Amino acid sequence: MIAKETIICKNCVLDSKTPGISIHPETGLCQFCEHFTPISKEKKEEYHRRMDILLKSPTERGKYDVIFAMSGGIDSSYTLYRLKKDYPHLNILAMQFDNGFISETALGNARKFCDLTKSTYIRLTLDQNALQDTFSRAARSKDAYPGSAKYRASDICNTCISIIKQKIIELAISTKSPFIVFAFSPGQTDAPFITLTKPFLIWMRKLFDGNLKAMGIAERDTYLIDSSLIRSDSPEPRVTIIHPFLIWDYDKPKFKKECIELGWIDPDIKDHNSSNCLLNAFAIKNHLDKYHIHSYAYDLAALVRQGNMDREDALKKLQVDISDTSIWEVQQKLNV
Amino acid sequence: MNEILEDIRYFLKTEGFLNEKISLHEDDSLTETGVIDSIILLQLVDFLESKYKIEIPPEMLTPENFDTLAGINESVMKLKTGMNVL
Repeated sequence: MIAKETIICKNCVLDSKTPGISIHPETGLCQFCEHFTPISKEKKEEYHRRMDILLKSPTERGKYDVIFAMSGGIDSSYTLYRLKKDYPHLNILAMQFDNGFISETALGNARKFCDLTKSTYIRLTLDQNALQDTFSRAARSKDAYPGSAKYRASDICNTCISIIKQKIIELAISTKSPFIVFAFSPGQTDAPFITLTKPFLIWMRKLFDGNLKAMGIAERDTYLIDSSLIRSDSPEPRVTIIHPFLIWDYDKPKFKKECIELGWIDPDIKDHNSSNCLLNAFAIKNHLDKYHIHSYAYDLAALVRQGNMDREDALKKLQVDISDTSIWEVQQKLNV
Repeated sequence: MNEILEDIRYFLKTEGFLNEKISLHEDDSLTETGVIDSIILLQLVDFLESKYKIEIPPEMLTPENFDTLAGINESVMKLKTGMNVL
């Protein structure tokens, strides 16, 4: 429920109650909408040409062409299908991270789409007790992730996504696979291509290590990229991350329809913002309670601003159903 | 304040979460203060490349070069003048 004095940006869904968001008194726009410049058609075409060059004839050859981050949700299922449709020769390894809260349906969807696209499927599992403890610490932590990271995701999701990033980069380097593809929405990321270098990876590893340390996690190496792969005497990684949703048009209802036609099953999770993870609704509530920031607001606001989502739909997605039993169940499981 | 520093601050205010409540000195860590994360860092690189018509090599993305206002300012100056940056 939004208090009376709260002003919502006239263009997107960010509101004045959220720390760090200011609404201009005259224009009624938030600071992001005030300065927003949409990506030009020419730039998008340029990105498309670059992706074609990279994926049509990869110059580097490894065990796989692409390591793909698969969640079993709509975005990743559609992306895997579209990748293989547009670039049929690609040898793809799809990695699904089982954080202990992935719905059975999402696990099934991931396998189904890997079969459909003839991709190799692996399910990454880590020590489930340690993971549960990690998520519990993330929920109880305050300011483990500073500033801007709080707007992108909840502390729990930041932890989970960072583990996935670290492990998938590790997998790409160790299998000498030249590309990693993430199905992040255009609201979740801004760079369509990221060339990974050792200094950058060392920096990112150090930052995540610091976040985990701030949560009081003692055994951190298991969540981090193997440091021997990014030592000064180890070869350069030669890996590029691609975010196709910054290149293709992003139309989630269309993706969902297409995925269902291909056999994707809706996991029937009440959460408006996830079609695969049972932890998500609790993570949103936990983040709201701690920081008064809805962890999807920034992402959804960007989608609205870019014209990728209706404002009304985004506002609906920001309503938190605290009576959702999944929240209580997760709370019990994490002992928070 | 020089033009590059002004541009970086403008970018961080409009695209990031730098506001008047955060007093940011030139040698403060941008990641530790939470002003940027890896995503905003890459956006900032894009912004600087198009603003100053320079190419920032990926190898240059280190904390020494890009974790402080002073480091970024110096890196951009070097790239603008064609100095060896690595």
